[in-house]
Amino acid sequence: MTIAIEARNVVFSFGQTPALRGASIAVDSGEIVAIMGASGSGKSTLLHCLAGILVPDSGEVLFDGARVDSMTEARRSSLRRDRFGFVFQFGQLVPELTTAENVALPLLLNGTRRAEALRKAHGWFERLGLEGLEHRRSGELSGGQAQRVALARGLVTGPEVLFADEPTGALDSLTGEQVMDLLVTAARAQGTTVILVTHEPRVAAYADREVIVRDGRVNAPDRIAS
Amino acid sequence: MIRFGLRLAVAGGREALTRLIIIATSVAVGAGLLLVTLAGLNAVNGQLTRYASLYPSPSAEGIGDPLWWSTREDYFRGEQIVRVDVAASGPGSPTPVGVPTTPGPGEYYVSPALTELLEATPAAELADRYPGRSLGTIGDAALPSPDALVVIVGHTVDDAAALPNVRQLTSVGADTPALPETVVDLIVGVIAGGLLFPVLIFIGTATRLSAARREHRFAAMRLVGATPRQISIIAATEAAVAAVAGTALGFALFYAFRGQLAAIPFTGMRFFPGDMFLRPLDVLVVALGVPTGAALAAWVSLRRVRISPLGVTRRVTPRPPRAYRLIPLVLGVAELAYFIGRRPVTSDGQTAAFLPGLLLIMAGLVLAGPWLTMVGARVLANRARRPAALIAARRLADNPKAGFRAISGIMLALFVTSVSIGVITTIVANRGPAQVGSTDAATLSTGLSDDELSVPDSLLVELRSIPGVRSATAVHRNPDRMADPGVLACTDIPAAYGRCADGATVAAVAHNFIPFRESASATRVWPAAPVPLDDVQRLPVASIVVGTDGSAASLERSRTVLSRAYPDFWSAPSVPGEFESSFADQLRGWQQLANVIIVASLGLAGCSLAVSVVGGLSERRRPFSLLRLSGAPVRVLRRVVALESTVPMLAVAVVAIGMGFVAAQLFLKAQMDYMLTAPGPEFYAIVIVGLAACLGIIASTLPVLERITGPETARSE
Ligand SMILES: Nc1ncnc2c1ncn2[C@@H]1O[C@H](COP(=O)(O)OP(=O)(O)O)[C@@H](O)[C@H]1O
Ligand SMILES: [Mg+2]
Repeated sequence: MTIAIEARNVVFSFGQTPALRGASIAVDSGEIVAIMGASGSGKSTLLHCLAGILVPDSGEVLFDGARVDSMTEARRSSLRRDRFGFVFQFGQLVPELTTAENVALPLLLNGTRRAEALRKAHGWFERLGLEGLEHRRSGELSGGQAQRVALARGLVTGPEVLFADEPTGALDSLTGEQVMDLLVTAARAQGTTVILVTHEPRVAAYADREVIVRDGRVNAPDRIAS
Repeated sequence: MIRFGLRLAVAGGREALTRLIIIATSVAVGAGLLLVTLAGLNAVNGQLTRYASLYPSPSAEGIGDPLWWSTREDYFRGEQIVRVDVAASGPGSPTPVGVPTTPGPGEYYVSPALTELLEATPAAELADRYPGRSLGTIGDAALPSPDALVVIVGHTVDDAAALPNVRQLTSVGADTPALPETVVDLIVGVIAGGLLFPVLIFIGTATRLSAARREHRFAAMRLVGATPRQISIIAATEAAVAAVAGTALGFALFYAFRGQLAAIPFTGMRFFPGDMFLRPLDVLVVALGVPTGAALAAWVSLRRVRISPLGVTRRVTPRPPRAYRLIPLVLGVAELAYFIGRRPVTSDGQTAAFLPGLLLIMAGLVLAGPWLTMVGARVLANRARRPAALIAARRLADNPKAGFRAISGIMLALFVTSVSIGVITTIVANRGPAQVGSTDAATLSTGLSDDELSVPDSLLVELRSIPGVRSATAVHRNPDRMADPGVLACTDIPAAYGRCADGATVAAVAHNFIPFRESASATRVWPAAPVPLDDVQRLPVASIVVGTDGSAASLERSRTVLSRAYPDFWSAPSVPGEFESSFADQLRGWQQLANVIIVASLGLAGCSLAVSVVGGLSERRRPFSLLRLSGAPVRVLRRVVALESTVPMLAVAVVAIGMGFVAAQLFLKAQMDYMLTAPGPEFYAIVIVGLAACLGIIASTLPVLERITGPETARSE
């Protein structure tokens, strides 16, 4: 097993507020890790540091052997665009686009041709049980449908790592479980590494491993080492 | 509730304060422009009223001691001089407005601008036209403008009674306003369409945004039990507070810059600062109307956004506009086209014919705009390759009314100004002054009355002795009424104006050697006239033509000599096109006004667009910032914003200008049988400057984009 992505002793503060006080985590390639913890413990901040959205005050973030924390904003953006995928709690669909266009959006941003991007997007509608919803707008979807579309958008580029921050946080538990089922199945099928932030044990149960953040601190070396 | 709203408005923290200041500033700009428009209209009306009072209508004759009065136009270096000749017939005669006494024979009063001109010019060119002595300057009350060239010359009653156009007045200064109702309506309509509409749109957009920006706070209040009605009152109060402050600032700005504004020669002449005044009604309308309008806009906008305790209800796609919206536009064009070749005879009839057509087109453009926006956006959305173009086009296609609202002002402003500039340019081109350096521009002529049997040789000698004068010719009256009006011995035709037909001894010529709608030419061949050579000298004199080298000094000296020799001229000795050119000058003033409207309305439209851009951004801040987190470069989002605002704006500019020229062409064709002359580069330069200003304002919102799509937004609130 090779390590896909790793944080070493990451420290991060929002101005005076410390959010991470020393977080270390290593995630194997193809592994699904759940980051758990109380609200405000620093889960999202850790995810943002790993994904290159935030740059840690100190410590290192490594992806594919490269130091993410020392890359330029432009390099980190293209990394997120080309090799990572994201699912957020809610509201990531652009309201004026159809769901198919929303799913195709990351491909269009990569420079894929429109017809090709839409064709690939349509493939995901079948896989996630969304057939017939291609021409709806996000305002016309239920919460579960919207999250499945978001999931399709997160996976459409075939990312190496999928970051999911409370992907079921706005759903009832039954719908949430459906979404998690699809997420895990799709990730396994593609061999995508998943970093899943959640505070619900039932959701965390879908992961290979649970990592707990407490007060901005976590120490979770990779599976083999632990 | 209102007091609570007030408290919230003033104590809402830094963001609320910033918002208040932005809205207040923009309302100030809007209110200021509104005040300038109203005051400008008053100023134009005042100017024209005093101009008209230089041409009083005669009173009933035979009562008391009337004042004899005759107004004629004279020219100096292309400028018009209004010459008023008066004579008091007795102690009871009224005194002209603006002077302390009625001047007697050999006395005159001059306007301050003419005084300056007299001092700066050799007497032989100008002052000699007014023999006698000056009693002083004419007061402002009688002058249309500080720049007006006016002279009031005194006479004996007998001399005055012999002047052309003379009338008897038993009272002065009670003249009704110069502008006929319909003209006032037309101007108000044009200005309202061109300027007020963008102002109102802007105020509406700004307040709508300010209400929308606080939806979270409003939702929180709903959660603790506030009714929707109370929320609306709070929002309206906040908007009104900003609008009151903005309106007050607008008044302050107006009064601070009133003097500078008056100095802009909108009508071709400056205004007196006192002319730029506001009637109590104007003050009332702006002071009450603007804040009320702002509050109403906030109220209405919140009725559309249902704020539930859980936040603003999901945006639903509004019903797409339908093609019936094109009907008024088509009707308007058809109406104007119908009148080609069917021009109504009276000027009221013409107004009645064209005004509805123009207004229909204006309303039609506003109504058709959303439909056109939708069609254009759909085409774009289906062919878009880049994500930014796709997002922008989908948004416009989804809610074309919202997309069009901010630019509807530009559309009207550009339409109105293109119509007027198209019409003005064409009229000026067709009736402008003679070209500088041409023989036409060097030819001065004066028509004489029927009973002028001969011209003293001494006069011709005097004219020829003026430096720069090349010929001075008396043209005799042609007894054949069907031919050219003048006859002349072939040997007397100056070479610059052509020659006789072969074998002729007497030619029929134009009264100033320049046939109607043609130019003077040395190669012109004048037809023979069946008048014996010896009889020519015995025919009455029709006109005197002076050919010069074109220098102002030679022209003005000749004019002075001629007007002294024939003081009872109907129209002053003139160069072709001089009369028309003073009309053209006035039109050019209106053109300047149109330019101001273009720039102001484009600037305002830029503000409206900027506000709606920021509104659209904050509506979509979450999806946009999550897109950014997922690696979409800010560049893409910037492009979305730019495409959503500038593409429709530019498209609308093209459509509006095109429609404007179509309407102008229809009007010109029907009314004057002219073909549209394309406006010069100046017009396009102004449009480009305005559009650039607009784009600049939109660009200034881009930093907001980066700020509100930062990573913080990703937090699950
Ligand atoms: N943009 C921000 N500005 C200031 N403080 C923040 C910001 N985002 C998060 N925090 C603080 O950082 C800490 C960790 O936040 P977060 O990582 O979002 O927690 P979690 O996702 O575990 O709920 C919290 O104390 C939170 O208040
Ligand atoms: Mg979180």
